[in-house]
Amino acid sequence: MDYVQSILLGFQVALQWNNLLFCFIGVVIGTLVGVLPGLGPVAAISLLLPTTFHVTPVSAIIMLAGIYYGAMYGGSTTSILVNIPGEAASVVTCLDGYQMARRGRAGPALGISAFASFIAGTIGVVGLMLIAPPLAEMALKFGPPEYFSLMIMGLTILTFLASGPMWKALLMAAFGLFLGSIGLDSMTASARFTMDIVELSDGIGMVPAVMGLFGISEVLLNVEHSIRRSVFETKIRHLLPTFQDWKDSIGAIFRGTFIGFFLGVLPGGGAVISSFVSYAVEKKVSKTPERFGTGLIQGVAGPEAANNAATGGAFIPLLTLGIPANAVMAILLGSMMIHGMQPGPMLVQEQPGLFWGAVTSMYIGNAMLLILNLPLIGLWVRILKVPYPILFPLILLFCLIGAYSLNNSVIEVLIMVGFGLLGYLFKKFDYEAAPLILALVLGPMLEAALRRSLLLSAGSPLIFFTRPISGVLMLISLILLAYPLVPWLRRKRAILPQVSDEE
Amino acid sequence: MARFNNDQVSGAVWIAVGIAIALGSLRYGLGPLESPGTGFLPFWAGGIIAFLALIGVIQSSLSRRRGTGWRPILRGVLWHKPLIVVAALFAYALLMKPLGFVLCTVLFIGFLLRAVEPQPWSVVIVGAIGTALGAFALFNLWLKAQLPLGPWGF
Repeated sequence: MDYVQSILLGFQVALQWNNLLFCFIGVVIGTLVGVLPGLGPVAAISLLLPTTFHVTPVSAIIMLAGIYYGAMYGGSTTSILVNIPGEAASVVTCLDGYQMARRGRAGPALGISAFASFIAGTIGVVGLMLIAPPLAEMALKFGPPEYFSLMIMGLTILTFLASGPMWKALLMAAFGLFLGSIGLDSMTASARFTMDIVELSDGIGMVPAVMGLFGISEVLLNVEHSIRRSVFETKIRHLLPTFQDWKDSIGAIFRGTFIGFFLGVLPGGGAVISSFVSYAVEKKVSKTPERFGTGLIQGVAGPEAANNAATGGAFIPLLTLGIPANAVMAILLGSMMIHGMQPGPMLVQEQPGLFWGAVTSMYIGNAMLLILNLPLIGLWVRILKVPYPILFPLILLFCLIGAYSLNNSVIEVLIMVGFGLLGYLFKKFDYEAAPLILALVLGPMLEAALRRSLLLSAGSPLIFFTRPISGVLMLISLILLAYPLVPWLRRKRAILPQVSDEE
Repeated sequence: MARFNNDQVSGAVWIAVGIAIALGSLRYGLGPLESPGTGFLPFWAGGIIAFLALIGVIQSSLSRRRGTGWRPILRGVLWHKPLIVVAALFAYALLMKPLGFVLCTVLFIGFLLRAVEPQPWSVVIVGAIGTALGAFALFNLWLKAQLPLGPWGF
């Protein structure tokens, strides 16, 4: 099947009225989640996961993907108008976006952020379409050792990029692997650490864990301060950027797109990192780097393009290798499995309708977002004015319903509350939750690949190093793990931005 | 507590957690390397946790000597509010089946609106009842989520 046929098939699926509706619902919820501080795409996708159980797999994926890239669009609005990032990937947008708003240029800031997001999101989808199928074909040559090494590399990269000491991030990944091993052993069917709780036989659910670690803990942290948000009171005019605005920002948009897409593909990379890197690059190439932070349009356009392109890139390892690149993709992987799909190299061949339908829906979703974000900006601003003391009980209620309706079980709710407390403590003691979630999801797959590899090699761990692809992946992991011994690499990591753990 | 810094304390807890996991895994059997057993992965995960935490404790002990002390985690925050929220969450989880979704949600939302950052009674009553009925209609009636019904049928 060539590209043209595939794209036509994709549009045929994506343009069905029910898929259009779910795409619309996804991007609206995504924008809302992005606009509202304290509720990121990870929590939102987990919350809405149970609501997709009654729809077709393709509609579910279209909606959940819409939430992800919709949140990237919406996050910038809060950054620009309130100086609080709506979600983690919009942290950098605060720097110049809010300054633009203070100077009466909120309109062009919001406008360029929407256009940059649209351009980058669309290019990201094109990249996904071009790269995913050949990569999937290559991935067919992967055996258990290659999968094991790839997952180890993903975890290593994520811990390498995490803020704070590396031992903490690695420790969280190891704890995630342990949590992932709770339940029935997939090879022998014997129970592990289940404490005779029936609900634990299937393992610790990713949804209660994510909602607890990201949703509940965020609320707990927010309520311990009296939150007074003030929306920047300004008339939002001239949403369409001027010719000079375009001239200033077009280079930043394309550089941001390139950076975002490739960092998005990298397991462990993603929208947050790419927006920071894009900002750093813009500062570097600028003739007036000292003016960054005072309201330069490039400082909005570059990072906004980067975080949107990264969403397209992040789908590549998930759809072609079955490996999630970040926490959001980990939840999507879980949801695809719940719907009976196995993301991986066979997905493109076995379910072309689903693959291409989901990909082409992102084009449509990006167009919907442009329409939603420009004319409806006033509506989002009004939502921003909802006081947090009224908002947080609703967030908690969504979490409770989401956890309960997974298996109609109170145990899942208690697990979620437990993870909420744990997440609160993690944040108090500066431990990042993202490596834990990725390891929790990868754990069962990683264990199966490890045990199969050792069976294949009659117990020799050298199998991970003697096979070429696996060897290269392991070598990259080892280099990253050995960073404390390599001074220039250590310096490089030290300048990585302090990123929030919600990716 | 002030004799130690935050990383020393959390590192010590993690060492205990790691050792407990590794020891707990032994009863499932590690198996030979050519055919790893059920306890193999959790054993190594526990061992790695304890090892990394030990590195953390050593590093933080060195930084303690350089002056990194205990950073109070509850100073300057309204710590009783998260406590109220957690208590409400546990109560909700335990009461949602006996009381049913709607009544339990009315009480939960009403309590949070009034107890955490007190809202006027009109907001509390309308917000609690409206949210409960709205959520019931959305999740139970439209999305068929099978939320628990109380003895009174809702």
